[in-house]
Amino acid sequence: MAEWGSAAARNDGLENTEESLLLDRLNRIEGNASGYFAVHLNLSKLRSNHKQGHFLEIAARTFDILVDSNDATLFTLTNKDMALICRNVDVDDVDGTVEKVRGLFSEDPLTDVSENVFDDPFSTWYDLSNPEDFAAFFAVITDLAVEAEQIHIAEAAQQDKEQQMGEPLAPSNLTEINKTLQGMRVADMIKRQACLQVQSGSGGDLVFFELFLSMADIKERVAPDINLFASPWLFQYLTETLDRRVLAVLVEEDFNEINDPLSINLNISTVLSRDFQNFHRAVDGNMSKIIIEFQIIDIFADMKSYTYARDSLQQRGYRVVVDGLNPLSLQYFEPADLRSDFIKISWGPEFTGDEEESRMEEMREVIAKAGRDSMILARVDSEKAVKWGLSLGISRFQGFFIDKLVQVIGGGRKPRANREAN
Amino acid sequence: MADQPEGKKRLPSQENLLLDYARRLEKHKDGRKIVILHLSALRPFNRRDQHIRAAASNFDALVSDMTGQLFTMLNADIFFIFKSEALAEVETIVQKIKYLFDDDPLVAEEDKQTQSFASWYDAATEYDSFLQLVQGMAQSEQDRQTAVRARMDSRAALKAKQKQGEPMTPDVLARVETALVRADLSNLVRRQFVCNVDSKMVPTQSFSELFISIADLRETLLPGVNLTANRWLFQHLTETLDRRMLSMLTKTDSISISGEISFNVNLATLLSKEFQSFDDNIAASRRGQMIIELQKEDIFSNLSSYVFAREFVQDKGYRVCIDGMTLETLTMIHRERLGIDLTKLVWDPELVDGGEEVHSLLKRVVEEEGSEKFIMIRCDNREAIDFGKSVGINLFQGRFVESLIAEDGRRREMLRLKRRIERN
Repeated sequence: MAEWGSAAARNDGLENTEESLLLDRLNRIEGNASGYFAVHLNLSKLRSNHKQGHFLEIAARTFDILVDSNDATLFTLTNKDMALICRNVDVDDVDGTVEKVRGLFSEDPLTDVSENVFDDPFSTWYDLSNPEDFAAFFAVITDLAVEAEQIHIAEAAQQDKEQQMGEPLAPSNLTEINKTLQGMRVADMIKRQACLQVQSGSGGDLVFFELFLSMADIKERVAPDINLFASPWLFQYLTETLDRRVLAVLVEEDFNEINDPLSINLNISTVLSRDFQNFHRAVDGNMSKIIIEFQIIDIFADMKSYTYARDSLQQRGYRVVVDGLNPLSLQYFEPADLRSDFIKISWGPEFTGDEEESRMEEMREVIAKAGRDSMILARVDSEKAVKWGLSLGISRFQGFFIDKLVQVIGGGRKPRANREAN
Repeated sequence: MADQPEGKKRLPSQENLLLDYARRLEKHKDGRKIVILHLSALRPFNRRDQHIRAAASNFDALVSDMTGQLFTMLNADIFFIFKSEALAEVETIVQKIKYLFDDDPLVAEEDKQTQSFASWYDAATEYDSFLQLVQGMAQSEQDRQTAVRARMDSRAALKAKQKQGEPMTPDVLARVETALVRADLSNLVRRQFVCNVDSKMVPTQSFSELFISIADLRETLLPGVNLTANRWLFQHLTETLDRRMLSMLTKTDSISISGEISFNVNLATLLSKEFQSFDDNIAASRRGQMIIELQKEDIFSNLSSYVFAREFVQDKGYRVCIDGMTLETLTMIHRERLGIDLTKLVWDPELVDGGEEVHSLLKRVVEEEGSEKFIMIRCDNREAIDFGKSVGINLFQGRFVESLIAEDGRRREMLRLKRRIERN
């Protein structure tokens, strides 16, 4: 199997691409196409989070047995689509394999089988012995060959960009980075983002400002050649150090003078540490202005510590956010059981805003059950995302789009902070 | 915040509420009296939650008709602030509560005590000393919380260091991972059986879990270092161990993997080339005898990867088990929706202490999903097995199960010897 975007294919232009090989093959069988048929899998239409390389490799390998024991060839196209050419193969065998691949992507709307729609958006079958079908398939592949060339150019640019990301974070380079961070002042790298309560027609009320470290700035200053996100676990380790740096900045604040509530991201272990006690002293009774955000993986890794940390924070008047969820994850557990004050879910490119009504209805139920009043939709990058959230009963939003909104409102007046926090 | 019904979620401590109330009392102090019941001075067995609740409930009528306000402190002391005209009524109630505890030295030997059962204040004349008292209580509650955490923090760290060695650092992790590439780990692979245990405590093996002993790994590679001290560094280490385990499972001559087996892997490993080559190299029929164990934090760190990987491995015939569940997470995580085949529930004596409510909840969950899907793990004693069976769980794993297997082996050996002797 050719690897996705392999170097050979990229340099030789159209010559050796999967598309050109497929077109060659079609030219050869055109004269005597009896017994031939093709299946086109529209994997390029999957949501981006399902189009990752290792997913597609596994999907391609699902055809191994079929290809090995029959007269069948799989072409993995540049745009991530797949084309299977078969000669005298039992349609049921092919169908079985296609269904297995469909099953792999069962979370993706592309694989939804709709009763009343004649077309299956996931796969298209062509009887190549039928000249009309043959011509149609040939035209589709010709178009994809042209598209492939453009993709290769874009990918080359992308690859350069990825090389700029640097070598992956590994235990061997982690020590050095961690040491640098421990002695660093991070005050100038702390950014803030507003979380707004949006009411239709009346702008928004400020819920809090989230303070966060700009990882781009950190990387630039500490490890320009290292990709800090290569391992989720090692990154999480780094955040323990970052927590302490952020707290070291915040203890110098006068919290009596702060009007807008602030939220900060912390590890549970940090909240149970001495650094947090120093912070608590600095907060000086203004706990109602502080919101602490925990990541779901941190919570699930040690529920007992989470429960203890949450109780002691809430008892003292802090509020707690569960972060690191997306709308999908709400279907797999009961976030309300975590008894936090807020639940933050991230909007992502996998939501187009035109989900089928049945999916939306399910999502609406899940959100109602988890508690609409505690929901925050984060990473909101468009008005579409806000509308999507509002239609699900969510009223609190955060993200680039909200930042722009705040700027606009800020021109006239500052977003009103909530009464009690003032 | 005005827009949030959060009272039900976050309860400010009673100490703080009382302080708040006491401050506001200043304006209405005329005609108010206060009684403090020093239940904290009772013997511990007399001031369990139910005792305190029973005592406090005597004030219910006066609280609901707004005659007074009640606060129960964390140390069990009860504060009741009330309108002076109800004094006689309150005195009767206090007397009634006192009788409840008349076998406690605080009441029975009242004359010998330095602390009285109840103290009375008149808000109009003694407001300042009352406020001071309340402020002191709120402060000491805060100090206590801080002290507990500080103690947990440094004491726990010290204890862990003495018991398990120096904490792990990235440097050490780098060295361990380099060493692991070359080390022969086959002698560190341990096997623990999951067994059906019958009413006579005779075990029948169902499958076995294969794992690399972290304690032995530490002894072999880096004595004196606590490999598990940092969760995230350890998690990274397990990805390396996954790959070594898979390669050992492929080479069946390095470890024996007869029968049905389970092993722990990271989600990332399931989607890696190493797993592909493992899968290519084992007989198709073996897949049906293999169970893949995953951790919940790993699953929720990337749900769409999980859904994909689960579909992929289950289609190949593997079964998927979620490891390390507790009562709390059992009801929180929709395992059926996640397509989980097996659930490992960690034994905890608190399950028994949870009483009838926990009992029937667990029983219902097991019955609904099917008892064959549950395994009680870390069973250290017979109580674990007895409790598990009482809620319908039949499969068990842990030290106690290992000892049952050993015992059963000895018994069979004895039986065999006896038969041989009889034949001769």
